[in-house]
Amino acid sequence: MGPVPRTLELFYDVLSPYSWLAFEVLCRYKNIWNISLQLQPTLIGGILRESGNQPPAMLPHKAVYLRSDLRLLSQHHQVPIHFPKDFFSVILKKGSLTAMRFLTAVKMEHPELLEKVSRELWMRVWSRAAEKAGMSMEQAQELLERVSTPQVKNQLKETTEAACKYGAFGLPVTVAHLQDETHMLFGSDRLELLAHLLGEKWMGPVPPAVNAKL
Amino acid sequence: MGPVPRTLELFYDVLSPYSWLAFEVLCRYKNIWNISLQLQPTLIGGILRESGNQPPAMLPHKAVYLRSDLRLLSQHHQVPIHFPKDFFSVILKKGSLTAMRFLTAVKMEHPELLEKVSRELWMRVWSRDEDITEPPSILAAAEKAGMSMEQAQELLERVSTPQVKNQLKETTEAACKYGAFGLPVTVAHLQDETHMLFGSDRLELLAHLLGTSDNGTSYRGEKWMGPVPPAVNAKL
Repeated sequence: MGPVPRTLELFYDVLSPYSWLAFEVLCRYKNIWNISLQLQPTLIGGILRESGNQPPAMLPHKAVYLRSDLRLLSQHHQVPIHFPKDFFSVILKKGSLTAMRFLTAVKMEHPELLEKVSRELWMRVWSRAAEKAGMSMEQAQELLERVSTPQVKNQLKETTEAACKYGAFGLPVTVAHLQDETHMLFGSDRLELLAHLLGEKWMGPVPPAVNAKL
Repeated sequence: MGPVPRTLELFYDVLSPYSWLAFEVLCRYKNIWNISLQLQPTLIGGILRESGNQPPAMLPHKAVYLRSDLRLLSQHHQVPIHFPKDFFSVILKKGSLTAMRFLTAVKMEHPELLEKVSRELWMRVWSRDEDITEPPSILAAAEKAGMSMEQAQELLERVSTPQVKNQLKETTEAACKYGAFGLPVTVAHLQDETHMLFGSDRLELLAHLLGTSDNGTSYRGEKWMGPVPPAVNAKL
């Protein structure tokens, strides 16, 4: 038997496009590197409140930069990100509370579907294409009913607090549990550094699938 | 003759450790990629003021994160970054005005020494926790970079002339016009488009952009080989 897979926690919110980038890259590498990827649905609003930070788009020059940064990264990472028409309404007004509670419920009841449902939600918010996630209507309805239960609300709260305890001031946050140390890495642009910490090979954001472990 | 090298402008301030990371990586790749690297001494204080941004360390969680981020990146990039003991004094009180004016003068008079003098100033402030604001500090850095005492003294005297002050101002304004809200900023001039990239963590993306086709003709790709590419690949 080989060495024990290292646990990576990915704290993410579907409202965060950079979280989507980190998510897709780590989903690709989970079949290549010796890691165990734990997806952690988190509320970015809670992280920002707790840390006193604000969304980068609040600064005009950053808002302009975000658009081109995401457009280029979308191409490079092969993730179909398109800015929503009414960006400020999406991010600031509508938020993601229901969506993240829904994902929390999915994680509790159908963890094997968490990856696909998360992707589907990102597709809805951040892409023009929407694909089916393979969840039946009954399952979706049942989960929607659970969204406002104390268990689900509390679980999302706890996950968000866990991210804050790791020192998060935004998302995505990747926490790497190595033998001797734990590292919190912020952003979708610390994954090459993560490879270095894991002693694994970085093959860019779109590694060849042929390397995938079977 | 091969294709024309693409111009990359690197806007940087020695007060910025992430600028040092970008600087070292681009200095390594300038002998590997088909690029012409133009170093642009810039005042980060001016960028922040103009854009209404503040240094990341002003937010407590970011200040904590910065330390470990830079420690890990320092190892990964093989750049000897060490946090100054009195970080806030170095960054917020002492600043880098004289140092960046000096580098501006170096660029105007001895551009071939700009890379080395820049590096020596970073080594002082961001590796050995030494001052970069007093004249003897700047002269020491210049000498270590191979400048004679006479040359260094002469340039130091130029620091308070209108030409040097204005040049630094113009460079800083140019970065702002590109949309900068911090440093480092890398501006890539491709055939059809200009791209402004912020941070030391957009260099793999830069390699990708340098490899895209210009104006329909396919261009040989530029390979990203991590922050410490093998020197054997260097063009001779």
